[in-house]
Amino acid sequence: MKMLTRLITDELPFFLACPALLWQVVFLYIPFFVLAIYSICDYSAVTGTYFLTGSYYSDIIHSLCFKIILRSFFVAILIAAICFIIAYPVAYYLAVKSGRRYKTLLLFTLILPSWTNLIVQTYAWFFLLGKNGMISVLLQRIGLISPSFHLLNNYFSIIVGMVSCYLPFMILPIYAVLEKMDKQYLEASADLGADRFETFRRIVFPLSLPGVYAGLLLVFIPSFGEFAIPSLLGGSKYAFWGSVIVDKFLKSRDWRSGAALAFIGVMFPIMVMGLTYVLLRGKKIVQRYRQSHHDGLNGNGSAKEFWG
Amino acid sequence: MKSIRLERVSKSYDGELILDNLNLEIPTGQFFALLGPSGCGKTTILRLLAGLEHVDSGKIYLGDQDITNVPIHKRKINTVFQQYALFPHLSVFENVAYSLRIKRMSDDLIKAKVSELLKMVRLSGFESKMPRSLSGGQQQRVALARALISEPEVLLLDEPLAALDLKLKEEMLLELSQLQDKLKMTFVYVTHDQFEALTVSERMAIMNVQGDIEQLGTPKAIYEFPVSRFVANFVGNTNFIEGKLQISSGKYSVEVDGLGLFSVYTPVEKLWMIPGCRLYVSVRPEKIFISKSPKEGFSNHMAGKVIDIIYYGRSTQYRVKLRNGLYVLVFEQNEEHFPQENIDYDDEVHLYFQKENVVLLEH
Amino acid sequence: MVDNRQYFWRFLNPIVVAIAYLFLYMPIIVLVLFSFNDAAFSVSWVGFSLRWYKKLINSPEIISALETSLIVAIVTTFLSLLVGTFFVVASRWWRTSMLGNIFYTNILLPEIVLAIGILSIFNFFNIPLGYGSVIAGHTLLGLGFVVPIVKARFVELDPILTEASLDLGATYLQTFRKVVLPLLMPSIIASGLLVFTLSMDDFLISFFCSGPTVQTLSVYVYSMIKTGVDPMINAVSTCFLVISSILVLVLCSLKVVDHVISYE
Repeated sequence: MKMLTRLITDELPFFLACPALLWQVVFLYIPFFVLAIYSICDYSAVTGTYFLTGSYYSDIIHSLCFKIILRSFFVAILIAAICFIIAYPVAYYLAVKSGRRYKTLLLFTLILPSWTNLIVQTYAWFFLLGKNGMISVLLQRIGLISPSFHLLNNYFSIIVGMVSCYLPFMILPIYAVLEKMDKQYLEASADLGADRFETFRRIVFPLSLPGVYAGLLLVFIPSFGEFAIPSLLGGSKYAFWGSVIVDKFLKSRDWRSGAALAFIGVMFPIMVMGLTYVLLRGKKIVQRYRQSHHDGLNGNGSAKEFWG
Repeated sequence: MKSIRLERVSKSYDGELILDNLNLEIPTGQFFALLGPSGCGKTTILRLLAGLEHVDSGKIYLGDQDITNVPIHKRKINTVFQQYALFPHLSVFENVAYSLRIKRMSDDLIKAKVSELLKMVRLSGFESKMPRSLSGGQQQRVALARALISEPEVLLLDEPLAALDLKLKEEMLLELSQLQDKLKMTFVYVTHDQFEALTVSERMAIMNVQGDIEQLGTPKAIYEFPVSRFVANFVGNTNFIEGKLQISSGKYSVEVDGLGLFSVYTPVEKLWMIPGCRLYVSVRPEKIFISKSPKEGFSNHMAGKVIDIIYYGRSTQYRVKLRNGLYVLVFEQNEEHFPQENIDYDDEVHLYFQKENVVLLEH
Repeated sequence: MVDNRQYFWRFLNPIVVAIAYLFLYMPIIVLVLFSFNDAAFSVSWVGFSLRWYKKLINSPEIISALETSLIVAIVTTFLSLLVGTFFVVASRWWRTSMLGNIFYTNILLPEIVLAIGILSIFNFFNIPLGYGSVIAGHTLLGLGFVVPIVKARFVELDPILTEASLDLGATYLQTFRKVVLPLLMPSIIASGLLVFTLSMDDFLISFFCSGPTVQTLSVYVYSMIKTGVDPMINAVSTCFLVISSILVLVLCSLKVVDHVISYE
């Protein structure tokens, strides 16, 4: 007993850090390993042994599943783009324009929806956009849409639901970066002759890119793997990557195929974010060695290139 | 080159009045220093000139043009900020070229001008470096080049050397001085460090804590002939001897309690100098001669005991307690390796000074 | 021409902000309003009524689902905070910032990947799904929040304040009790609130890993929605909103909002 306590106090840091690391290993890394094995192993009833196969991967790539992955991918990009377009002005307003008192109020009201249950938020749109929902009824009364026009159970409702859910996650990181930006840069830029617009284009926006990247990370990847919103607001009409995985794991119990699908699918957002990161860094490297002859910064250009 | 002029400028900040009906004219083409303690409003003046703040009342003129309401980016006045404010995502080249890019100047012209400026601040070859890889002194020179490239009418410098160590500071002061000489541009240099101000300026203004300008003049005039106690004490050290003025047959003397009569001289007779009035005699420590043995040939004499000695390398500072309880500072240059007289703690010493080496200041 | 651009933007910016906030809040407001509507299927206002709330309180399934969610959330929060804070404090001796970054994957990976991971490992070892699996998954997420938030605060006080305390004669244990822990407390509380809310709101991991016996509130509401519009859902949602608002208020008052936001 005494030796045990001695051991613990001597190696205290190790014991303190252990549980967390253990948790990661047991519940994250080993499962990945297990899933990887699932995806490349198959059991042959004939020989009664396991053998390695790439068939699950190739099946997915050559089947409908791949189209589904692409669909999730493009929808996620669309969501990220829409969120970005709305989020940046909002973040800018919060960080730069609003007075001190309004700022806390606005922040509070911004955080609140993001802390609300996803299902609740989704249901709210379900309620509004349904056939008898307020918005449908309102638009019908005005005459904008015909009674047979559905606002729900289609791409429109899915996109509305997802944007509504993820918007705060795009606003907050951009706000954080803009808020912390040294006002001296803005003063120096104005002092040197740049008006507000030029200062934004050359200084503010480029320096806010880390925040934009963080926002993208928080919006693009989760929306790629989103399952609940398309299921509730899309009437399960459209299959997304998330819903196929649910199907394979919970309904058809086709775990091996599901694991392969998971790995292929997860590659997409990871590659995109990695590419974005490299591109953001890369621009700086290129700038260093080329005396750039487009005006000062490529900030505006690079952002629009990525998300069309 | 144009002169810059503040006319009856007032500015409040958070309810506090910083500048009150200030009038200041900064002459053309000179290195002008604005010196004062922290919080006196000198940075406010600079920011008003740059356009970073708006005056509450009054006008600002650049030459004949009223620039009071001209926005920052339209003024032909550039600033070197205290923390340099180099754009971290731009290279040295792009930082310096910034104002020219705004003007949509051609690439070839920009390249030529940037090379010229970098050569001027001795940073040729640094074009592709990023600000974070530069030392403090290098960053400052980039900030300088950036502000000068568009050939402004006036260059404002907001305590630019505050973050540098002493040796580097001295080097940069010299470089700034030479630069201004070459460009013949109006430099307005704000600092709380009197050493910087004295060294580098051709003309300076001293501001007091209330935001008023106490004295305006050349460094020498301000140092040797301060017009008030504040100026005398703020720039350099001095000894104040309080006494009563006596004038007989054109000769001035001051009677001091416990010390007797001192013979003084003033180059300008001021209105307040009436016989019998109380005043201060300001004698700078370096103008006082200290000796253990009595000497001849001096107008004034004091005697006392050495209380404190501080060795400064070049000079030694003595703190002497006079017979009437007054403390006097004396600076003596360490001219000799082996001085004839060794002055030590508790020594009885004689202090001498000439009547021309004093300044009479109003009570 | 340039000035026109600026005026246009100055005018447009607040409008975009207003539209964004409207977009975020409109559904919620309508939802709350109609939870008090005295009608089962109509979308027009019939009358004020609390009957859906009464029905809510009298529904055993909802109460049990709420209980489940609360148990899971509390245990998750406790575990995340304990394990996470230990890890952060341990970093004092290891000083590898890299190691702290491994928890970012928990948040950045799509939650569904985490969910199937937990599912597969429990299945592999033939452990039945239930409270354990859900809590395991939620704690993974929780660690991803707790470690960075607490770490951010920790590096501000260690080694500077810790060394000062040791220099003045305190042992490390005393330093921990008197200096480190009190200063870390706001970050711990803030991240605790975050994890609690996260766990209560979580759907994917609960959906995958709860198995037949355990059902959290989110999953229950999901199945309710699948069957159609029911004002009782409005009532549940309103309750959720009220609880969230209170939690956000508490968080804001802690003045750690900056930490949380800059982390995000």
